[in-house]
Amino acid sequence: MSKLLDKPLKTFTLYALFILACSIPAYYLVVDYIWLNELDEHNEIVRTRMEQGLNNIDIDEQILAQTLKVWNSVQPGTTISAAQPGEAREDSIYTVSKLNIYSEDGEIDRFRGLQTYLNIYGRPYKLMIETNVEEVDETLLAIALITFLFFGFLVLGFILLNRRISGQVWLPFRKTLDKLRNFDLNKQTEVSFEKTDIEEFEELQVVLEQLVRNNASVYLRQKEFSENASHELQTPLAVLKSKLDILLQDNTLSEAQYEKISSLNSPLSRVSRINKNLLLLAKLENQQFDESHPIDLGELLNETTGLLADQAEAKDITISLKVDRYTMVNGNKYLVEIVLTNLLVNAIRHNVSGGTVTIVLTGGVLTISNSGGKPLKEERLFQRFGNASPENPSSGLGLSIVKEICQRYSWDIRYDFKEGLHVFSATF
Amino acid sequence: MKILIIEDELELAQNIADYLSGESYLCEHAATFDQAIDKIESFSYDCILLDLMLPGGSGLEILESLKKQNKQEGVIIISAKNAIDDKVKGLQIGADDYLAKPFHLSELSARVYSIIRRKQFGNSNTVRQNELEIDLLGKTVKAANQAINLTKKEFDLLLFFVGNKNRVISKSALAEHLSGDLADMLDNHDFVYAHIKNLKKKLSEVHCDNHLKTVYGTGYKWEG
Repeated sequence: MSKLLDKPLKTFTLYALFILACSIPAYYLVVDYIWLNELDEHNEIVRTRMEQGLNNIDIDEQILAQTLKVWNSVQPGTTISAAQPGEAREDSIYTVSKLNIYSEDGEIDRFRGLQTYLNIYGRPYKLMIETNVEEVDETLLAIALITFLFFGFLVLGFILLNRRISGQVWLPFRKTLDKLRNFDLNKQTEVSFEKTDIEEFEELQVVLEQLVRNNASVYLRQKEFSENASHELQTPLAVLKSKLDILLQDNTLSEAQYEKISSLNSPLSRVSRINKNLLLLAKLENQQFDESHPIDLGELLNETTGLLADQAEAKDITISLKVDRYTMVNGNKYLVEIVLTNLLVNAIRHNVSGGTVTIVLTGGVLTISNSGGKPLKEERLFQRFGNASPENPSSGLGLSIVKEICQRYSWDIRYDFKEGLHVFSATF
Repeated sequence: MKILIIEDELELAQNIADYLSGESYLCEHAATFDQAIDKIESFSYDCILLDLMLPGGSGLEILESLKKQNKQEGVIIISAKNAIDDKVKGLQIGADDYLAKPFHLSELSARVYSIIRRKQFGNSNTVRQNELEIDLLGKTVKAANQAINLTKKEFDLLLFFVGNKNRVISKSALAEHLSGDLADMLDNHDFVYAHIKNLKKKLSEVHCDNHLKTVYGTGYKWEG
């Protein structure tokens, strides 16, 4: 992943490189053209000066010939010689590269030449002027070096500016991002972003605020829905339950009718149990039951076990309790009671006749193990209705409630199957 | 005994009235907030059954107005909202009891009985039922001056039967009564048998067992 501003930076850099690279031959052509033009002018001036100078000095032909000979040998760039008869006397301009005979490493120099014809005292002479001009490669190299130097400055500038812009311009964006990151739908329903003078960000914030508001209200409605739905169900359930009680009072009922009516109580109480548990889950999700106190877990275990003694006795189950004294946990008493009750009721309900339930609370770890059939699938165990089956008359929510409460207090709850025992352990 | 049922669900109000009026209770019904206020202002009752969510207002407001008028009626809140907050608030304002829907009518009847008895007999803590003399404070029972040694659960059962005289009570209602808050969690109601058996046995020792009848194996009835 690359940052947003790095993307154009890369493209801009490549574009700058392309343009600057293209400028190298352009600069070269312009510089070379100016060079050669200037040198042609220069050569022309030399020619004019020589012609006028030689024509103006009063000198005889022999001395002139000697002077020219001397001139030619000390000024090899300018060669003047008598024109051959029959020579086409046309001026020409040329560029030539020659080995520098004075240089040791065989350097090749480039020259701009002018071949022209003069009349000195009425006689034609051929004049060749060659002026040293910068070589192609040297010019190119110099231009390229400077171009790349400036390209370097350009890239450096891009990077520094980019960093500054991203720091300043993107600051509101980052703040918005932080706000969103810390937003918790469970705890707040409003989010307010810092004002920004950048149109796009302002637009983004407006849209985000609206999105959050909408989501929050949907979430709130959803939460209220499950609470209200559970409440609404209670009344018809109450009607049903009371109707059954009324029916039982009928003296004319036969035994079979009586059995049928009273057997309705069991599914009815199951529906009512599921309903209450759903309501409890909804409340847990709505972050109710805030207040929390230190609770003596051992004492609470004793109480809960006492309440369930009847149940255990009916199935001939032996409960053994080994509890460290004064094991205190912080939590809502009602919720902690639910955790203990759900675990213990399960341990009794899913037990075999004549089985055992062993409760051990030591070192902040509560272990409840009970005898019973096959190992259970842990991943489905704590899911809502994860373990529901026709043979299983539970609400299917008990363990998910336990899990939900444990999560709220960051307690660790796990299930194991060891030596024929179902073991639930909670680490406080 | 006059009882006012403030409940917007007509069917439920009717069932409650049917169940309670068999005894010496006379039931009246108010289905809305305004009706309830009217009735409370015009008449006096021995016990009021109060639903909290009513068309036209909250049951808690009715409770407040009752207390403002210094009325002595016993109030049992019957609410679909089993919220602890509501429960605490209702009891703080002055309700005598709180029963969450759905409930067994026998449970309601036992609680109505207990409240009316408390309100009517003020200081007297003894209930007489047939040959039995039940001391509510000491939690002891005597028959012909002979003490019957009952466990707490057996005592609870006995009171429950007394509050539901001549009514058939299902095993599940008894189980729910005995297990209190845990009632919702339990699906095995067999433990009721054991307590009933023991209670019957102890009653038979003082020759009082002819009142507690078993109906078709799973129901019970106190005849008296």
